Amino acid sequence: MNSTILSIKNLEKTYPNGVRALKGVSFDVKKGEFLVVIGLSGSGKSTLLRCLNRLHDPTGGEVLFENKDIAKIQGHEVRDIRKQMGMIFQHFNLIPRHTVLSNVMMGRLGYTSTLASLFGKFDPKAKEEALRYLDLVGIGSKAHIRADQLSGGQQQRVAIARALAQNPKVLLADEPVASLDPATCHTVMDYLRKVNQELGITIICNLHFLSLVRQYATRVIALKDGELVYEGDPKEINEEWFETIYGAGAKEVHVN
Amino acid sequence: MSYSFKRTVFDSVIFAYLALIALVVFLSPSEEQMLNMNYNFALAFVLVGVGCVVSILLNKSSKITLGQIIFAPSHKKDPSQTEAGFTKLWCWQLWMTLLVTILVGINQTKFSFYELTDPDGFAGAMRLFKGLASPNFGIFPLAVLKIIETIFIAFMATILAIPLAFILSFFCAKNIMTSRYGFMLYAFLRTVLNVTRSVEALIWAIIFSVWVGIGPFAGMLALCLHSVASLAKQYSEITEAVNEGPIEGIRSTGAGFLQTIWFAIVPQVILPYVAFTIYRWDINVRMATIIGLVGGGGIGTMLIKYQGQALWPEVGCIIVVIAAVVWLMDTASAYLREALK
Repeated sequence: MNSTILSIKNLEKTYPNGVRALKGVSFDVKKGEFLVVIGLSGSGKSTLLRCLNRLHDPTGGEVLFENKDIAKIQGHEVRDIRKQMGMIFQHFNLIPRHTVLSNVMMGRLGYTSTLASLFGKFDPKAKEEALRYLDLVGIGSKAHIRADQLSGGQQQRVAIARALAQNPKVLLADEPVASLDPATCHTVMDYLRKVNQELGITIICNLHFLSLVRQYATRVIALKDGELVYEGDPKEINEEWFETIYGAGAKEVHVN
Repeated sequence: MSYSFKRTVFDSVIFAYLALIALVVFLSPSEEQMLNMNYNFALAFVLVGVGCVVSILLNKSSKITLGQIIFAPSHKKDPSQTEAGFTKLWCWQLWMTLLVTILVGINQTKFSFYELTDPDGFAGAMRLFKGLASPNFGIFPLAVLKIIETIFIAFMATILAIPLAFILSFFCAKNIMTSRYGFMLYAFLRTVLNVTRSVEALIWAIIFSVWVGIGPFAGMLALCLHSVASLAKQYSEITEAVNEGPIEGIRSTGAGFLQTIWFAIVPQVILPYVAFTIYRWDINVRMATIIGLVGGGGIGTMLIKYQGQALWPEVGCIIVVIAAVVWLMDTASAYLREALK
C-alpha cells in the first residue's frame, strides 16, 4: 500500500499557442490509492492526466512510472505505457456504432498485432474476460447492444470495462461524472471505488464536486493555474482551503 | 494575416480595376496596344500601387471602405457605419464595382438583342428543334448499347477510384497528419489533388485518348482520375470533421496508428463515404455521356457523329436516351443517399 507507483517531478506543459497549463507540478501517487485532483476548469487537471499517459507530451519535468521516466519516451514504448494505464473520459469516448462487447474488446488493441486486430481476431480468452468485466460493472446483459443506445451512465461503465480489459495498473479518470445526472453519478463513482478496492487498481480521478471528493477520495491534490496548491486528506479541506482553490466568494455545491 | 492587410489588398485591387476600366473607356486603345502585355502589366501594377495609397489614405482619414466592411472583425465595426445608405463611401464602392462589372460583362459576351431576335437565325433554330422533337427511333437499339457502355464507363471509373481515394484521404486529413513530415506530405498531396481536380475530366480525356487511343478506355481513365481527386478531397474533409473523443479513447488503450484509424475513425466516416461515392457515380454517369465528344467513348461518340452530319432526328433520339438514363440514375442515387443518412 505504501510503495510509490507514480512520481511526478516538476511537470511542465506549455501548449504550442503559448498557454502554460502546468507550471512545475510535483507529487507522488501511492499504489492502491484513490487520488482525486480538484481545481477550476482550466486549472490544468485534464492536461495533467493526459501528460501521465502521454496523450499529451510534457514540455518539462519527469514522470516516474515504477521508477522509470516516461516523460520523453517515444513510439512503441509510449503505447506500452498506455496499455498499463487505462483511461476514462467525460464524454465516454466509445465507438458509437460498435456493440458494447466490441468496445470493451478494444481495450485489448495494445496487446493484439495490427493485422490480427484489423481482421477482428482477438485472443479468444479476451472475449471471456471482457464479458467478466462487463458483469463486474453490472451491464453484462447489454453486451450485444450498440454502444450509442445506452444511457450516459451505462456508457461510462462500458468505458470502465474497456479500461479494465487493458489489465491496467493505474486508471486515469478525467471528469468521469461531469456529464451525468446526480444519481447516475454515484453509481459510476461506486464502480470506480469497487475497481479500486477489489482489483487494487490505483485511481487518479479529476472531479468537480467536493462532496464526491470527501466521499470517495483517499487523498486529494488541488491545482490552481497550473500549480499544486493543496495536497492532503480530503476531510481536511475546510472553508479556507476552499477559497484558496476556487477563489474568494465561491460557494460549494452539493450533489444529491 | 491581419485584417488590415486583407482590407488594403482588397481595396487596392477594386480601385485599380475601376481605374483600368476607366482608362480603357476613355483612351479606347488599339488591339495592338491591348496585346502589349509588358506595358499593360506595368500599368496594372502601378494602378494597384496607386489604389493601395488611396486605400491607406482613406483609412487614415477614417473613411469606411468596402474592404473594411468585409474584413474587419465585428468588435472593430461601428454599427452606424455598417448600415447601407447613399452617403456611405463603401456603398458607392460596392454599387460602382457591380455596375461597371455588369457593363464589362455585356461588352465581353457580345450580348445582343439584335442577334437574339434575328428572323433568319430564329428560323434555323426552329428547324433544328423540329428535328429534335421528332426523334428517329431507328437508331434506338444502337443508342441503348452505347448508353450501357456509358454507364459502365462511369461505374468502372468510380469503382477503381474508391480504394485509391480511400487511402489518399487519410494522408490528406489535417487531424491525422499532425507530425511535421506528415504535414509536408499533406500539403504536397493536397496541392497535387487540387491541380488534378482543376483540370476538367474532358481535358484529361483528350490526354488519355492520345495515350491509350480513342474509345471508352480513355474516357474511363479520365473520369477515374478526376474521381480520385474529388473523392479524396471529400473523404478527407469528412475525416477532418470526425469527433476527436473516440480517437483519444482508442489511443489511450495503447493502440497503434493503423488501429486508431480503423477503430476510431473508419466507423465514424463510412456512411458519409458511401453517400459521397454514390453521388460521385451519379456525376460520372452524367460526365460519361459527353466524354465521347472528345474521344472518350460511350454515347457521346455517337452524339457528335450525328450532330456533325446535322441529322437532328437521330440526335433527338440520343438526347431522349441520355435524359432518361441520367434522370433515372439521379433519382436512384438520391433515394439511396437519403436511406443512408
